[in-house]
Amino acid sequence: MKGIDGPSALVRGRRIVVCVGAGGVGKTTLAAALALGAARAGRRAIVLTIDPARRLADALGVGALGNQPREIPREILTRLGVPSGGSLSALMLDMKRTFDDLVERFAESAEARDRILQNRIYQNVSDALAGSAEYSAMEKVFELAESGDFDRLIVDTPPSQHALDFLEAPQRLLEFLDSSIVQLLLHPAFAAGRFGFRLFQRPARRVLQVIERVSGVSFLEDVSEFLMAFEGMSEGFRQRARRVNALLLGRETGFVLAAGPASESVAHAEAFLARLQTSRVPLAGVVLNRARVWPGEGPAPAAVPDVGKEAEAVRALAAALAPNAEGDGETAARAAIHAASEYASLVRRDEEATRVLRGASRALGCFWRRVPELPRDIHDLDGLARVADALFAEANAGDADD
Amino acid sequence: MAETLRSILARRLVIVTGKGGTGKTSVVAALALAAARSGLRVLVAEVGRDEHVPRLIAPGTKPVGYAGRALRPGLTVMRIDPFEALAEYLGLQLGVRAVVDLVFRNRAFRQLMEASPGWRELITLGKIWHLEQMTTPDGDPLHQLLVVDAPATGHGLTFLDVPRVAGSAVRAGPLRKHAGWVEAMLGDPERTLLLPVALAEELPARETAELALRVRRDLGVPVDRVVVNCLVGAPFPPGLDDLDERVARLPAAATFPGLPPPGVLAACGAHLRARHELGRHWAAQIARMTGLPLVPLPYLANGIRGPDDLAQIATPLLAAPEAVAA
Repeated sequence: MKGIDGPSALVRGRRIVVCVGAGGVGKTTLAAALALGAARAGRRAIVLTIDPARRLADALGVGALGNQPREIPREILTRLGVPSGGSLSALMLDMKRTFDDLVERFAESAEARDRILQNRIYQNVSDALAGSAEYSAMEKVFELAESGDFDRLIVDTPPSQHALDFLEAPQRLLEFLDSSIVQLLLHPAFAAGRFGFRLFQRPARRVLQVIERVSGVSFLEDVSEFLMAFEGMSEGFRQRARRVNALLLGRETGFVLAAGPASESVAHAEAFLARLQTSRVPLAGVVLNRARVWPGEGPAPAAVPDVGKEAEAVRALAAALAPNAEGDGETAARAAIHAASEYASLVRRDEEATRVLRGASRALGCFWRRVPELPRDIHDLDGLARVADALFAEANAGDADD
Repeated sequence: MAETLRSILARRLVIVTGKGGTGKTSVVAALALAAARSGLRVLVAEVGRDEHVPRLIAPGTKPVGYAGRALRPGLTVMRIDPFEALAEYLGLQLGVRAVVDLVFRNRAFRQLMEASPGWRELITLGKIWHLEQMTTPDGDPLHQLLVVDAPATGHGLTFLDVPRVAGSAVRAGPLRKHAGWVEAMLGDPERTLLLPVALAEELPARETAELALRVRRDLGVPVDRVVVNCLVGAPFPPGLDDLDERVARLPAAATFPGLPPPGVLAACGAHLRARHELGRHWAAQIARMTGLPLVPLPYLANGIRGPDDLAQIATPLLAAPEAVAA
């Protein structure tokens, strides 16, 4: 499938990698691990995060992350196995700053710029333009891609109930700017005559007047002022949104869906993959993060101990644990067996998640990886390196039919 | 923390919030189910684009929508859609609902509203206030407990801050008055409780701590405990805490009837113990960072699939919270 048979091919072949998925599945860690993999392959990589994962930043030795790239120090990169041509930077996205920068760039004049920045509607812009968090993330990606400072950009997307929000953000912004009501507010006479808005106008005006009356603010005035100020820059903005969109869906980009093994998370991932089939999204792979793997050979047994062997198992293990027949042998044996039985049932559940997601990714022709759950949180370099090792392994450990 | 906290069920309005993946919706459903079983008239209001609570309480049920539906005796679930709530509000203000409906059907009008800030949160909170005020013909509260499944943490604060912002931005008019009523409700410890749900892991722990501090400091919304979800219990009984290490010292080649090799048995126990200890560590951090008592909920291996699983977390959810020694 387009030469992407795993994360190694992905970070070698695509300039932009976007990690999507529900909140809480470890997207930030996966994004950082993918960026580390790219740096290890000799690329100049940057990871853009929206999560204030301070300990990850601390571990990377960059202190607090801001809206500008911070480079991870050379001695740390060497420890992580990054060759001299490779580099790794990190950036924490500041949505408001990114939007302000955009206004600075496209405003017609200093006066227009101030008018926008001080507009009440603009000040709420992170709420105002649906999906603007996603949009500003994409905007930053575009800026960095244009800068030429990095050849691999790994993006950790905002947690969203609907992972595709991220993709649809530029399009939605364009639709909004093009929408008839915006045109009507910008060019009332023109739009009314040309688009036949008379029917709509009267009741709409009445409702808007009620909104104004109850709100005590000049709602319409604020909106028109905002749009008027925006109009001067809307052409530049529009073109940019189109280019962002093209970059996102283009051949330089690959998407990775992250999922967790919990049943809700698997259901979410399945729904997402189903939606992807009808979209133009360049899906490169699916990663099941933090899946428990049976520590022995093969899959987890259906029961621990084997059915009908309990008494025998307890007796034998008790004798081995307390050879001198100290009092706790049987209690200890039962506890050890109980723990193994409990863990086996957890592993079986995660194996089921594996089956579901592996099947779905095969049907879509994208790669599939499983990252085993580590017994500790990932907040240091060694943990991150281990995630990267698992992610970039040639095949999934213990996965017989891969 | 010697003083006894009032039960969650003694409030009128419980706003449950938490980062994605913490199990906030399960807590909402468990709380509502337990409250209804105890005889209260309960209304669950979901705030968000999708309905999640109905399928936990009544698996396979149809969407409940804005009108809501009783899924069990004494337990109604609805989803507050901001457009529906706005249409209802404007219909009341204008006196003619048909005009409002005509305009709301217009796509361009909807796009304009989509692009306008703040009103969704305000109208949603206004609707919650309205639901909280409703009474039976006898003058008793119609909804004795109102449980709100609030947007995940990032938006959770904006959501609660809107009445205050509206109150200060708006110069006059009914909206200012209404925003004041909502703000008074949110700040009243007799009526309202904000219930944060966290996981005992680094990022959710830190986010929850920040949320609890900001809610208390900046918003004045009562918060008196933190729910810590999915805690893995100790795998071994007291006195056998390092049993996995003992098992690991058995000869590697030893075999036991019906059991995996000692190394595998030890690894299973070690994994569970590491998760248990990690959970305890971050639970203690949440307690230390927030200064609040905790409500620990157990990890259920098969997740929350329906009412039986909810009942398992309802008991510890309603138990008196624990002060965890940091």
